[in-house]
Amino acid sequence: MAKTLYIEDEKEIGQWVTEDLTGRGHDVTWLTSGNQLEQYLNNIDLAILDIMLPGLDGFSIGKRIKKANQDTPIVMLSARSAVEDKLEGLSFADDYVTKPFHPDELAARVDALLRRFQKEEGILEIRHLQIDTKSLIIINKQTEKEILLTGKQYQLFQYFLRHLNQILTKEQLYEGVWGERFMEGDKTLMVHIRYLREKIEENPAKPTIIETIRGIGYRVKK
Amino acid sequence: MKRFLKSLLAKYILIILIALFLFQAAYITIVIVFFNLMGDPDSPGNGQESYDEIEENWHQEASQIISEDTIAHVFEEWQEVYPNASMFWVDGDGVLNLQSNLQENLPDEWNVTYTAQFLKNHYDEDPFTVVAFVGGHEEEGFIVFQLPRDMLKSEGQRLNEEYGWTIVILTIGVVFLFIFLSLWFFRGIRKRLVHLQEAMEIRDTDGLPILIEEKKQDEIGDLEKSFNRMVQELRESREREQEEEQLRKELIANLSHDLRTPLTKINAQAYTLQKMDLPTEAKRSLKLTSTSIEDVDRLIENLMSYTLLMASKYRKDLKEINIIRFLRQYLAAWYPVFEKEEFEVDIDIEAFEQNKWEIDPLWFSRILDNLLQNVLRHATDGKYIAVWTESTEHYDAIVVTDKGKGMQVDTEQKGAGIGLSIVDMMVKGMHLDWEIDSTEKGTTIKIIRMKRAGN
Repeated sequence: MAKTLYIEDEKEIGQWVTEDLTGRGHDVTWLTSGNQLEQYLNNIDLAILDIMLPGLDGFSIGKRIKKANQDTPIVMLSARSAVEDKLEGLSFADDYVTKPFHPDELAARVDALLRRFQKEEGILEIRHLQIDTKSLIIINKQTEKEILLTGKQYQLFQYFLRHLNQILTKEQLYEGVWGERFMEGDKTLMVHIRYLREKIEENPAKPTIIETIRGIGYRVKK
Repeated sequence: MKRFLKSLLAKYILIILIALFLFQAAYITIVIVFFNLMGDPDSPGNGQESYDEIEENWHQEASQIISEDTIAHVFEEWQEVYPNASMFWVDGDGVLNLQSNLQENLPDEWNVTYTAQFLKNHYDEDPFTVVAFVGGHEEEGFIVFQLPRDMLKSEGQRLNEEYGWTIVILTIGVVFLFIFLSLWFFRGIRKRLVHLQEAMEIRDTDGLPILIEEKKQDEIGDLEKSFNRMVQELRESREREQEEEQLRKELIANLSHDLRTPLTKINAQAYTLQKMDLPTEAKRSLKLTSTSIEDVDRLIENLMSYTLLMASKYRKDLKEINIIRFLRQYLAAWYPVFEKEEFEVDIDIEAFEQNKWEIDPLWFSRILDNLLQNVLRHATDGKYIAVWTESTEHYDAIVVTDKGKGMQVDTEQKGAGIGLSIVDMMVKGMHLDWEIDSTEKGTTIKIIRMKRAGN
């Protein structure tokens, strides 16, 4: 269970979000101001911050959290939607959600950040695959056999898992895994995805794990 | 008075006065040195005496003579002092007795007629001639002293002849000195003016001129002071304007924040209610409430953007972006939304000849957000969205098409209007074009970048 620090001074909204996230399996600590921040600074996996707060504002709190621990993902959750606010927020925070928001959207973004910062532990199940996200041991549930990947396939699959449910463009994938600039027309990525599919898909001709999103890229959905 | 002394006018007057003084001083000096000396031809020089003194001394020497030897002795003495002079003695018998360095052809015997003739010829003529009776008595005859007049020119005259050229050179020198001083003075002014002009051209990072150094307390110094005052005023006015702009932005941001907070609360309540076991009718109402909240939210956002855009206060940061890459990543975020609404999504993005577009990615996202939101809101019936790239000889374009009922039929949602106004302003703000073609069978919107020559 990821420990989430949530700072919000509006009681109704605070309560609602806390209940919703708790219901989704998060361990949420809700504060109405940043006054007791120090106590939690080193003991959280993720922070959700309002901006307009009594005392320290959300920007200052966020910067303090990042200073204490660079690896703590931060989501700004505010009714302020001006470009300047977003830019200031995103200068240190990892995501910016504007109010009013749908709780599903917030939860999705929180999950995405936890995955990206690898704060999520345990076993991930995607259709016929069972994946240990820490050791990245992949087991085919139907055959109960481990699927072994080569280095690049492993990196590629891990990149997909870290960006679960997100559509990744060819450029993002290539640059994220190979660390080089993608050249239009390069077939390397396609070849590796074909090999990866041959290993993990039940039917590589009709892939269900790695989806092709025509015109955009690929996606691995939970 | 103190100010006047420091002014350029005072300096220039000083230069003129110096020049006038120098001219005058030069002439006065010349007059004193040369003409004064020339005007006094009797002034002595080289141990020689003036005509008057010669005459007097000659008479004195003559009166003291007592014998013939004395005469010879006198002649010798005088010959030493005046080597060019000629002297002779005509004794009481009218005989040319003694002579020294005689130049003229003179008879040996002097009668009264010749003597009168000689005196008449030599009176006040060249050579200068003095006649004196020996021993003061006419019986002993007379002695004559003759000296060519040019031997006894005045000091001034000689100086004038020898050093006359220096007068010319000195005069020319003074004229040149005046010209040089004037030029030097104007060069100084010109240099400062050019420097001032250059300093005035320099702009700070905020586009305003910078303050310049006030060096002197003269007319140019006043100009510098005025310029600095003007810059200061400009700065203050810019600061005021920025403050106002900041206030305006704050106001809009706060207003939208204050509107959205209750909206979020309503949303929270609706969501909580939706989770409960409610009759279908009530669920439908809640669904409508949620949709309305979203609409109001978008309207607030659009209103805020519109106000800022109209006042040209919407932050814009144009940079070169690979539009194809940008478009793919942008659509990756929107794809799930359409997927959830069960739209058929048709994306076909081909590289352009020129993929680098000079745009603000946030602005471009905002344009596409508005277009795609319109599709999601008003073209749901078609359940179809296509985004593709189009390239012709004259332009490159990004095309968004839906199969909705078109804009004209859409009378209920006037809010779409403000969304498209924002699209219009932002597209033009990035020097792009757009086209809209809406029929009952669907709407096609093109964002066009014209190809320029050489592109």
